[in-house]
Amino acid sequence: MKTQMELSRRALLQSVGVAAAATAVSHLPIAQALAAEPLKIWTIGVAKVGAEPGTGGKDWSDMEAQAGTSIAYNAKSGSADQAIQKMVVGDGNKLYDAITDNGGGMEDALASQGAITEIDTSRIDNWGNLLDHYQDGGIAEGTIRHDGKVVAVPYISNADSLAYNKTVIGGDLDSWEALFDSQFKGRAAMQNDFGPTFTNTAIYLKESGKQDIDNPSDMSESEVAGVAGFLIDLKKKGHFRTFWDGFQNGVGILAEEEVLVSSCWEPVQIVAGKKSGKDIVYGTMKEGHQTWNNVWMLTKGGADRGMDDAFYKLMNVYLSPWFGARTLLTFGFAPQMSGVLDYIADAEGFDDAAKTTITTRLNNKNDRYAIKGNSWQNVFPTNIRAYQDWWAKVQAA
Amino acid sequence: MTIPAPEGDRRAVRGGRVNPASLTLTDRLLGENGLQKWAFYLPIVFMVVFFLVPTLLTVVWSFFERTLFWMEPGFTFFSYVNFFTSARFENFLSSMFHSSISVVVSFAIGFPIAVFVRRHVPQVAQHRVILLFILPFMVSEIIRTFMLRPVLGRNGLVNTWLANLGLIDEPITIILFSPVGVIIGEVLSFLPFIVFAGFLAMEAVPKYIFEVCQDLGASRRQTFTDVIVPLAAPGIFAGSVFIFVNGLGVALIPNILGGPGAVNAGLIATQAIIALDFPLAMAVSAIMMATLLGLLYLGHRLFNLTRILEPVS
Repeated sequence: MKTQMELSRRALLQSVGVAAAATAVSHLPIAQALAAEPLKIWTIGVAKVGAEPGTGGKDWSDMEAQAGTSIAYNAKSGSADQAIQKMVVGDGNKLYDAITDNGGGMEDALASQGAITEIDTSRIDNWGNLLDHYQDGGIAEGTIRHDGKVVAVPYISNADSLAYNKTVIGGDLDSWEALFDSQFKGRAAMQNDFGPTFTNTAIYLKESGKQDIDNPSDMSESEVAGVAGFLIDLKKKGHFRTFWDGFQNGVGILAEEEVLVSSCWEPVQIVAGKKSGKDIVYGTMKEGHQTWNNVWMLTKGGADRGMDDAFYKLMNVYLSPWFGARTLLTFGFAPQMSGVLDYIADAEGFDDAAKTTITTRLNNKNDRYAIKGNSWQNVFPTNIRAYQDWWAKVQAA
Repeated sequence: MTIPAPEGDRRAVRGGRVNPASLTLTDRLLGENGLQKWAFYLPIVFMVVFFLVPTLLTVVWSFFERTLFWMEPGFTFFSYVNFFTSARFENFLSSMFHSSISVVVSFAIGFPIAVFVRRHVPQVAQHRVILLFILPFMVSEIIRTFMLRPVLGRNGLVNTWLANLGLIDEPITIILFSPVGVIIGEVLSFLPFIVFAGFLAMEAVPKYIFEVCQDLGASRRQTFTDVIVPLAAPGIFAGSVFIFVNGLGVALIPNILGGPGAVNAGLIATQAIIALDFPLAMAVSAIMMATLLGLLYLGHRLFNLTRILEPVS
């Protein structure tokens, strides 16, 4: 039985064929005919920015105008695993032409299952703007490739760090040691997610020489046990006020001074600082950070439906300094292209305060990215079951 | 006066009786009492499709083998072994314990309210008063729960008031991001269940009972524990089960008000799904259902729950 959508598409194809024959315009590509449809994207709200610097945009119209293609937005949850499940065994490929990921490793999982297609980088004019570390041989080359082929386009990234209330603490912090220090007993928080929490703790334990860990992003069972044991000891001593879950929760505990130190996303720190009026700072940790990027992918369904042209138009926006400057100013995410500072020097709408903010954040990010102990996010570590089981023990402690 | 049947109907009616052979399919499906008959079956069909089938599938899938992104048919107890031998079981028991406390606190606050309304509020106003307890449900649960944060927090209303009154020097932190915070959240969220159930249960307690108890010299405590509670027990139990099950399953409250890594059974299942361990999520759900069915069986044996549905004499 055909679905309504399939029938409609068939009718459209037939009408296109009739029109082509009648006007003797042969070889009208089916893909071109279908491209009149909006690009159906499945992504998160912060994947868009507004044309006015410092705004997220009311809807996707500013992004549409910039890309020159229409977009049908579908909101996506924050779970990598559910997204993969929907794309691999669910109806994701029927519903969406382009999707974003939820963290490192997802593109490998989707590409290995044939759910996404290879990217033709020659069709993205701004591909040359892409940061060097994504090029062949760069430290992040593997985050957009599968079996050596480019399957993803990065659009935001960051090195997650420690946010601290400088107004109350009265000084700067540059080590994860502070997060686990007894002076902040009952005033410390981490994320309620074993991925970033285990990884950041592992980076600290490894770099401070407290535990032998080969790769904080992909630990062995015994390494996971050691990291979890460290957190369990602290938890039993009442060190953590809470493990935050969700953006508002993360903002609330910092802004309301429930905690003074919290490992969190940079947008959480930015909003908490604005909300509280306090000097809440996102530090650079000398041991390193969990680094991550989010990427766009062209689904197999999208390619089959001939939506690749619209996809590449949108990707061209994501690799332009127009987007990079705005996402950095609005959300604090790192741009994935060079040329942002040159762009804001001449672009309209960026006042001096905005330019200073962008420059400062970019410099801070560069400092964080330069730390040797950084470790890339990995949503599918080899021993994921050990991660899950030990996280349950941390929760039960 | 008789109304002559339309031409079409005369074929089917002979001597005041319907000739089945001459009925059309539509007549058969929607004829005399047809609609009523289907209306009767609809709830059964609904329950089978949306409750029984998913429940059976949940149990069956809990024995499947986990694959990278989904699961495949098989028969393994791995998910159950994993659940009972890991810290998840400890979390589940802890979640049951906290839910039980929420039930007790809700009963201690909610049931006296129900008794008071039934006994002291004029009959015509009773339902209106009870309906007031629905008002909080007009606000999204996430907002209701989140709004407790500025109340219970370190610099929240409670601590500010107590500090201003000179009762505390340091903020009380145990009322938020702790099991106590979760219990407060559950009681405030689920209290109406025990009020409604208690109010309905009090239907089974005639007003004259209070006068009889008084005439016989029973104290208020004796009247409450020896007469009212036993008579209203089925309703109280039903309300308690509602609260207990919600406490086990609603993930929002421990997420927002709980301490570091606070979980309940609902969150354990959610986390299993997030980790793509679908058989484990199904096993947790099956265990929750078994727990509920066990509770209902126990309640039925103790209180004869069918009494809730019996007309009040």
